[in-house]
Amino acid sequence: MDIAAILKRNWGWFVLLLVAAVLPVPLQKQQYTMVLLMLIVLYAVLATAWNIIGGMAGQLDLAAGAYLGAGAFTTGTLLLRWEITPWVGMFIGALVAVLLAVLIGYPLFGFKIKEVWYALSSLALCEVLRVIFLMWDEVGGPTEVYLPTAVSPLYSMRFTTATPFYYILLVMLVVALVVNFRIRATKLGYQLLALGEDEDAAEVLGIDARAAKLKALIIYAFICGLVGGVYACFYGYLHPSFFDADISTEVAIFGIVGGMGIIYGPLLATILLVGVRELLRARLGGGLEGLYLVVYAFVLILVALYQPRGIAPLVSSVLQKFRSALTPGKKEASWR
Amino acid sequence: MTDTLLQSIITGVLMGFIYALIAVGLSIIYGVMNVVNFAHGDFVMLSMYLSYMAGTLLVWDAVATPLITVPLLFLFGFITYYLLIDKTLRQLYVVQLAVTVGLQIFLRSLALIVWKAQPRALQYSIIQGNIEIFGYSILTSRLIAAVVSLIFIAAIAYFLNKTWAGAAIRAASDDLDTASLMGVNYHRTYALTFAIGAALTAVAGGLLMSFQQTDPQGGMRFGVLSWCVMALAGLGSLPGLIAAGVIVGVAEAVAVTFFDPRSRLLAIYMIFILVLWLKPRGLFGRK
Repeated sequence: MDIAAILKRNWGWFVLLLVAAVLPVPLQKQQYTMVLLMLIVLYAVLATAWNIIGGMAGQLDLAAGAYLGAGAFTTGTLLLRWEITPWVGMFIGALVAVLLAVLIGYPLFGFKIKEVWYALSSLALCEVLRVIFLMWDEVGGPTEVYLPTAVSPLYSMRFTTATPFYYILLVMLVVALVVNFRIRATKLGYQLLALGEDEDAAEVLGIDARAAKLKALIIYAFICGLVGGVYACFYGYLHPSFFDADISTEVAIFGIVGGMGIIYGPLLATILLVGVRELLRARLGGGLEGLYLVVYAFVLILVALYQPRGIAPLVSSVLQKFRSALTPGKKEASWR
Repeated sequence: MTDTLLQSIITGVLMGFIYALIAVGLSIIYGVMNVVNFAHGDFVMLSMYLSYMAGTLLVWDAVATPLITVPLLFLFGFITYYLLIDKTLRQLYVVQLAVTVGLQIFLRSLALIVWKAQPRALQYSIIQGNIEIFGYSILTSRLIAAVVSLIFIAAIAYFLNKTWAGAAIRAASDDLDTASLMGVNYHRTYALTFAIGAALTAVAGGLLMSFQQTDPQGGMRFGVLSWCVMALAGLGSLPGLIAAGVIVGVAEAVAVTFFDPRSRLLAIYMIFILVLWLKPRGLFGRK
């Protein structure tokens, strides 16, 4: 395809990317802001990947923490034991996460475990792994295992500031978004959307539900595993708490609040919710411990109650009005 | 060896009755209203803290605190239903999940603010010591907790089967539209169901406080645990819930005694996953 045409069609995304890429330049000196930006991008990658299995296929996966932890522990252990660079290690970690996903997804989808039961068993996977790594002293154990700086900081991905991690994760975010758009345009995308709408009807129409869902799960687990490698390197240690049930639920919440199946929804929800949470933490954190979370919970509940289809439809309808005002007489298709 | 095994089985059975009581609350909420309540475990946590407060302020015994906490949790459930759950009934279950996860975060951070992060326990209990039965010692507090749990489960069974409100709840669970035509106000019935589900956690919370401590993160364990008991039992069977609670309790106790104290959760999750794979309708399910 013509590059100019692609640029013209998606100029909004490119402006956004440009802003995101330039943002660290003025903020470089502010450590806290950079860490915050990096965390937002990290959650955004996970939530955007979640959109494939959760938003499109309608499977409420709560195992992001499990795949993240698998990626983190593989990457970290490879660096620790055999001095394998995380740049390679994170891909091996992602493959381990995929293996895990197939191991758990194949029987789960085979036994037609759906909805809340799928959600709970994926959450259980996360907790099972946490307990196993807590007891597995050779790799995990209850104390933190610190990662060494082997060869050079670049080789072992041990940067002193958050900025390099921000850029690594930004690249992953772009990849995750592109993967979303690509899938959306393929047969798999249509199959997943059909499954998300009505699983039984989709199966009657001849869609191999298990195969389609498994493909979605594999892509999602791969991206989560990749993020896990960066996650371990950023924190500089390994701990079983990386298999985090809270991260898992949060990622799913961002996907739901953003708007199920809308590609930019999770990104939007992550920026808004993590932004609100951290702003509240900065404002209220000095006072009562946990007060910012109370307010955050209120925001979450209000959004879920009064905008049950997500915040993305709201934004896209505003955008559409804006666009049709610019180009009168021309109806645009929805941004989905 | 067999002695330790039997001892841990007895401990597990007694815990199992409390687990069954918690799961009954969740089961009527999910079974009747089809509402996915992710905050159920945190209701238990809240109940335990309220029992702690009642126990320290009034110098009451933990077992007596449900006299205060049950009405409180009933009211809490009633208000929660009308403020949050009622608005999510016609929505996708993911919206219910988002709302109840919000409620979960709210309850946990509230507990963190009010009672701080360190674990809290009641200092003493009038129920002390052990009872010796056939050479096995049983903690009296646990025995009483188990008996009280059974009584309450029996009371719920009586309420559901013999009273008009109970019949309305069962009717709404079977066929909401027909029940509405027969004059069942489903908002009120659902509110009652949700409030009863919450109130049952208050009973369990008081019983648990007679021999356990609580912390703001403690809800997670009870939440997954009660979903596990419910999955094992299947929907619509109270004796099934008791049996499932006992199985989970025994598995937990045996894992702690013979394998590793840290493997407590592992045993529960393993059962949970295996049951979903092999018996997705539960062992004793009606539906």
